[in-house]
Amino acid sequence: MKNKAKAIISFILIAVSCFALFAVSGSTTNAHAADNSLTQVKKKGTLVVAISPDYPPYEFQVEKNGKNKIVGMDVDIVNKMAKDLGVKPVFKSMSFNSVLTAIETGKADMAIGGINPTDERRQSVDFSKIYYMGGQSFLINKKDAGAIKSVKDLQNQKIGAQTGSLQYDLAKKRIKGANVKGMDKTPDLVLALKTNKLKAVGVEKPVAEAYVKNDKTLKAIPSGYKMNTNEIGAAIAFKKGSSSLVAAANKSIDDIKKNNLTDGYLADAGKYMKVNTADTSMGHYWTYFASGIEYTLLISVIASFFGVLLGVILALLRFSKLGFLRAISMAYTEFVRGTPLMVQVMFVYFGIGVIVNIPALLSGIIAVSLNSGAYVAEIIRGGINSVNKGQTEAAESLGLARGDVMRFVVLPQAFKNIWPALGNEFISLIKESSIVSIIGVTDLIYQTNIVRANTYRGVMPIFVTMIIYFVVTFLLTRVLNYFERKMKHAE
Amino acid sequence: MQNKEVIKIENLSKKYGDKEILHDVNGTVESGEVICIIGPSGAGKSTLLRCLNLLEKPTGGVVYFDGNDLMKTGEKDLSSVREKMGMVFQSFNLFPNMTVLDNLKLAPKRVKNVTDEEATATAKKLLERVGLGDKADAYPASLSGGQAQRVAIARALAMNPEVMLFDEPTSALDPEMVGEVLAVMQELANEGMTMVVVTHEMGFAKEVADTVWFMAEGTILEKNDPENLFQNPANERTKDFISKIIEAK
Repeated sequence: MKNKAKAIISFILIAVSCFALFAVSGSTTNAHAADNSLTQVKKKGTLVVAISPDYPPYEFQVEKNGKNKIVGMDVDIVNKMAKDLGVKPVFKSMSFNSVLTAIETGKADMAIGGINPTDERRQSVDFSKIYYMGGQSFLINKKDAGAIKSVKDLQNQKIGAQTGSLQYDLAKKRIKGANVKGMDKTPDLVLALKTNKLKAVGVEKPVAEAYVKNDKTLKAIPSGYKMNTNEIGAAIAFKKGSSSLVAAANKSIDDIKKNNLTDGYLADAGKYMKVNTADTSMGHYWTYFASGIEYTLLISVIASFFGVLLGVILALLRFSKLGFLRAISMAYTEFVRGTPLMVQVMFVYFGIGVIVNIPALLSGIIAVSLNSGAYVAEIIRGGINSVNKGQTEAAESLGLARGDVMRFVVLPQAFKNIWPALGNEFISLIKESSIVSIIGVTDLIYQTNIVRANTYRGVMPIFVTMIIYFVVTFLLTRVLNYFERKMKHAE
Repeated sequence: MQNKEVIKIENLSKKYGDKEILHDVNGTVESGEVICIIGPSGAGKSTLLRCLNLLEKPTGGVVYFDGNDLMKTGEKDLSSVREKMGMVFQSFNLFPNMTVLDNLKLAPKRVKNVTDEEATATAKKLLERVGLGDKADAYPASLSGGQAQRVAIARALAMNPEVMLFDEPTSALDPEMVGEVLAVMQELANEGMTMVVVTHEMGFAKEVADTVWFMAEGTILEKNDPENLFQNPANERTKDFISKIIEAK
């Protein structure tokens, strides 16, 4: 009966939080009744742009004077538009899968990235005029060129495309019997192609051309899709109802088209790409890895600290005399353990972001801390239970208050017992924190993907990253072992 | 010596679910008195002792300490009652994460707000008293059972309690170590400490106790001075128990 009551309480808690969530998301859909998008951009003086800089020549990163910079045709277009509006452009990088969510949730004023304004997408966001007609191509291995002469030869083959992209839908719908594989990153797709896991990769024409220029084993073939302009062209995406901002963008785009500015932009992008591929050794890109490690460690250290803090609090709540405190702690742990970290990261960034605008790095740290707290709580609870009941009785018989009993007698012994399990949690936290790269936190995984995109080298950056993670966790293990020995000694 | 009532037990009972552990327990402990509680295992001796400082919550009846009804004492005031009742456990329950000295200092510092110097001085004095002055910096794991139990006694004494409760303090010890612990307890009794001792050491009960309580089946069947209780037990169960012990010896 008691368990049943507990189950009911936690169910209610979960139901309530879900309801609160829906209420929040529901209210946002009504929020843009009055359009003040342009006024707001002008008022704050910045144009915030969601972008996924791993898609040369549209957008990618280069190192300039020791600093990473996002460049590419799209960036030039944004800069032009910002200049026309008299505001400062601010780029927020994240995975392509997230850029549309970012504008829907108000994280950014607009999203750019070779986005094709399809009918499906038009249902959830507004689009500017098309600023560039890219067209669709397929990348294939040069050695297959004899077998794959046109798109017809791709029937019943394995074809890759970026998840959530137009290329993915097109391949699925238009190529007979095609087995379409989706991946997040274009470099991953190209790598899969080169290692013969795929026969072809669907990409935008300029992207295909950029790859072919930089990799002699690849070849581009035209897609042969018959398409309307919405499916070939690239446009800028805005939150629904931002008509004034869209109008402003269209004015800039008209200007760009009239003066044929995109040719110059593409030429610029090509120059930057040459800078990137001039030296594709990993040593040349060490600053990317270094700054990645910096963020990975920053997130891990802060999240470990708050994870343990939260874990202790949650564990102590489980031993509270008040039933509802126990229920809260239990429901929290169950809920957090029962949902993927990736979803939690996106929820904190996009979901809670609707109410308070939390920067990506902070969102990442918060989500990872909250997640770790639930696991640490269970470890600590086990640790507290592992301490002999006689210890508590002896401490209580001496007149120590409940708090002191925990602080001086139970917790120190519990921590010693759970140290190996806690160490395990820290190590997996370092590795799992990599998930924050999806909201654009520039951690080690994020930087690895940038290096892969920039250098057109699929495997080497992964290998370097693997070694870095191993070295970091190996060193941490030594440190943890040192403290374990020290605790053992003190007995 | 004035005969002040330190502990008074009235109609105490304790149930776990439907199982009755104690019923109709009555008794008083006077200042300076040494009570030994004897009886067969399962009689409820330890439960009774643990009810005195409310490590177990009685389900009926009243325990008075210094005239205060403990059943009506809140969680916070309970600590201030417990600090006046030292308790020694069968399994020592020293804190393994602290040195012997810190085991003794923790409660005086945290509960009584005694300064560190004062707590150290008291602790060292008490360790000398139980014959373990050289073990101050040792960790409990390195002590023998007899040493650990003497430290546990010193730890309880560090709070300067009015009464000491002993829960089978020698039952977990190797036979050769029983003597050193009993000696410390006897010395305490000689100094006039009020003590309630649950024990199977009949020799100790005979020698040191002022009153022996014989318990069986959850209640006190007979109370008397040791001489009378051991020589002329009134109750059949007492007779039976004592004769069995003598046979065993």
